[in-house]
Amino acid sequence: MTNLNFKRISLRAPYLFALLLLFVAVAVNLYLQPNLLQPRVLAGNLRIFLPLIIVTAGQAIVIMGGGIDLSVGAIVSMVNAILITLIGPEATTGDILLGIAIGCGAGILAGALNGFGAVFLRLQPIVTTYATSFVFGGLALYILPRPGGSIPRALLNIYRAMPLGIPMAIFVIIALLLVWSALTGTRYGRYLFAVGGNDEAAYATGVPVDWVRFSTYVLAGLAAALGAVALTMSTGSGDPYIGTSMTLDSIVAVVIGGTRLSGGQGGVAGSILGVIILGLIRNIISFANVPLWSQTLVDALIIMAALAGPGIVRLVRRQQVTT
Amino acid sequence: MNNVSLSAQNVVKRYGGVVALADGNLEVHSGEVVALIGANGSGKSTLGKIITGVTAPDEGQLLLDGRPVHFPSPQAARNASITAVYQELSLIPDMTVADNIWLAHEPMSLGLRVNKKLLRQRTHELLDLFKGTYGSTLDPDAPVSELAPDERQIVEILKALSQSPRVMILDEATASLDSQQVDRLFSLVQDWKATGMAIVFVTHRMDEVFRVADRVTVLRNGRTVGSMPIEEATEQSLVNLMVESKADMRVEKKTNSARQSAVRLKVENLRTEVLQDVSFELHDGELLGIGGLRGQGQEDLLYSIFGAIPFEGQIWLSGEPVHFKHPRQAIHKDVALVPGDRGQEGLLMIRSIFENLQLPSWRRYGRFIDLNRAREDASRMAQRLNIVMESLDAPVTSLSGGNAQKVVIGKWLLREPKLLLLNDPTKGVDVGAKGEFCRLLAELREAGTAILFYSSDDEELLNLCDRVLVLLDGKVRAELSNSTLTDENLVAASMGTSQDNGA
Repeated sequence: MTNLNFKRISLRAPYLFALLLLFVAVAVNLYLQPNLLQPRVLAGNLRIFLPLIIVTAGQAIVIMGGGIDLSVGAIVSMVNAILITLIGPEATTGDILLGIAIGCGAGILAGALNGFGAVFLRLQPIVTTYATSFVFGGLALYILPRPGGSIPRALLNIYRAMPLGIPMAIFVIIALLLVWSALTGTRYGRYLFAVGGNDEAAYATGVPVDWVRFSTYVLAGLAAALGAVALTMSTGSGDPYIGTSMTLDSIVAVVIGGTRLSGGQGGVAGSILGVIILGLIRNIISFANVPLWSQTLVDALIIMAALAGPGIVRLVRRQQVTT
Repeated sequence: MNNVSLSAQNVVKRYGGVVALADGNLEVHSGEVVALIGANGSGKSTLGKIITGVTAPDEGQLLLDGRPVHFPSPQAARNASITAVYQELSLIPDMTVADNIWLAHEPMSLGLRVNKKLLRQRTHELLDLFKGTYGSTLDPDAPVSELAPDERQIVEILKALSQSPRVMILDEATASLDSQQVDRLFSLVQDWKATGMAIVFVTHRMDEVFRVADRVTVLRNGRTVGSMPIEEATEQSLVNLMVESKADMRVEKKTNSARQSAVRLKVENLRTEVLQDVSFELHDGELLGIGGLRGQGQEDLLYSIFGAIPFEGQIWLSGEPVHFKHPRQAIHKDVALVPGDRGQEGLLMIRSIFENLQLPSWRRYGRFIDLNRAREDASRMAQRLNIVMESLDAPVTSLSGGNAQKVVIGKWLLREPKLLLLNDPTKGVDVGAKGEFCRLLAELREAGTAILFYSSDDEELLNLCDRVLVLLDGKVRAELSNSTLTDENLVAASMGTSQDNGA
């Protein structure tokens, strides 16, 4: 009976382990950096996390649908290059909106290309999106051969604004969660879990499997573009390699957040927690005076422990059941 | 519900070089149950899949209410109110019972959001149809992965029913149900008939054909070879239609000579979560049956001997005390277990027949595997078991259910086990293949293998076994042999009635 309850809870709230991890990460971080919870510091941190949070929300949807997208980082780079080229330092509001619309359109098109290859051409998602990542990365370099450029001051200010004393990033995160919770309440949400859980069964039940899969890539492309908008507003400049590290970070964050890589289970909420945990880990390392040469190693070891966590919990439980 | 008629005419379906269906014909009308029977690989499932739009036919046509129709997808068939209860279950393990039943036709509020309250309420209403026949784990919020096979089958049936279909195809829907659940299903089928539903009932169980069908259609080698009202059919005439060479289930039973051979397995006071103090002995060359209603601890018994689940109590193998903690240890002592769920525990579905057959035996072919010798052994085994296949290198998915089950058995026979544990191996296997299987068991017994055989088919136990232990609530309710091994005693003991003797 306890076994059953555990299973039910872990299906409904797969991010429980992530919540625990977040608690530990905040505690350690707070110990090393006592002013962490001051609004100004918190807002600064969230500003840094937000672009990856948005990108990861899209990655989570693809993974839940049973796919994976290795091109989100390259899409971020491409859209960043587009934005910085279209929106110069003297751009008007109309120019800015047009630039963002074109950037999002490019993200959607990129996602559609991924979806076309991975779904309708029946290519392996890993290979397809790895290949297209070079297309998008190449386009980024074509549009913006070297780092540089700037955007109007006003845009930077909007990103740093704290309406009602609450960081802008919090509003965006709440909006993401609202969209996700609305989505799970719709038929599309059910389809997503069904397709990721058992695609043949879903097909035999009359779920439009291919279109659901295709849509996940399009959503991931759009999310990557929106992430690029946030990133551009955060840094205020362009860099054709800016998104490179975000691809694997987004996948790691999704897994830390309790979503299974094989699909059919998980959620956006946990994935957002995953990004925050990942960011806090990096904070901890920089505050803990870890020697520079070993930072990457320590970073990797902590991430491995975080990824292994849910598996270890399951292993311990199984032993308890058998003995 | 109004009148409906569906007919499939001269349907042909090829998979690569294999003709799954050469000339499939089927007709069903409102308020009628048509039993569709045939040996494994005769094309029953393929015909069902074509009617429900899962696969497209290469030739032939479907007529719905006299008009030709074409279903490019399962959705299209559902829109025409045709639905199926599949043999290979179509449920999503990590979704709840309610979400599974209503997948793709959820009750909505405001056109966009799924109405969860209504979803749960309607699921309760559906579950009430089977009230009293399932355990406490089955409720609308239970994840399907937590359910027992019979409960999953019930969910599958309710899922089809939730679409209020005009034509329903029940493909082996009774295979994992116990007798009480089957009775309930059949009484529901009568209700559905009364409302005008047309029902196609695909089955392997002859008694069910005569219990529920109004008409029976027989397939053989992908062709419809006969269709008649049930009054004109007899068990013998149907079997004759199904198999070209008449299948004979009965094999010579051995007399008590087995009792004089060495004791291969001795079990004393075996206890698990389900089992309570089970004790027995099994001799070399003896075929000991385990019977009783489904879920009385039969699987626990086999799995604890095999070291797959924890247990208390003593087990001796050839006089030596053993307590296996892992199946690997049991395998090293020449114990083999043929699982019932071939998809999950028995086979690597997309790998070749050859690889599947040799999977437990590679060690015997040296560090650098002697592939030629392995191939020879595998093909000899395939011949001995009469596996119908394209080649040894074809994937297991290309085989019919009965042939796939032969591969599961074959892979363990290649290891020449001394003790063979069988977990309901003929579930969902047709009469012809059952006959072959029974002869195979008799052969193994003759060669001195000790066999512990759980079957949900009483007929098999009666025809094959020297002795049968009937389990009830985790205890041995009766031990039947020779004159006490009768149909009445078996049923009486499994139901726990007072007149059973022998215990």
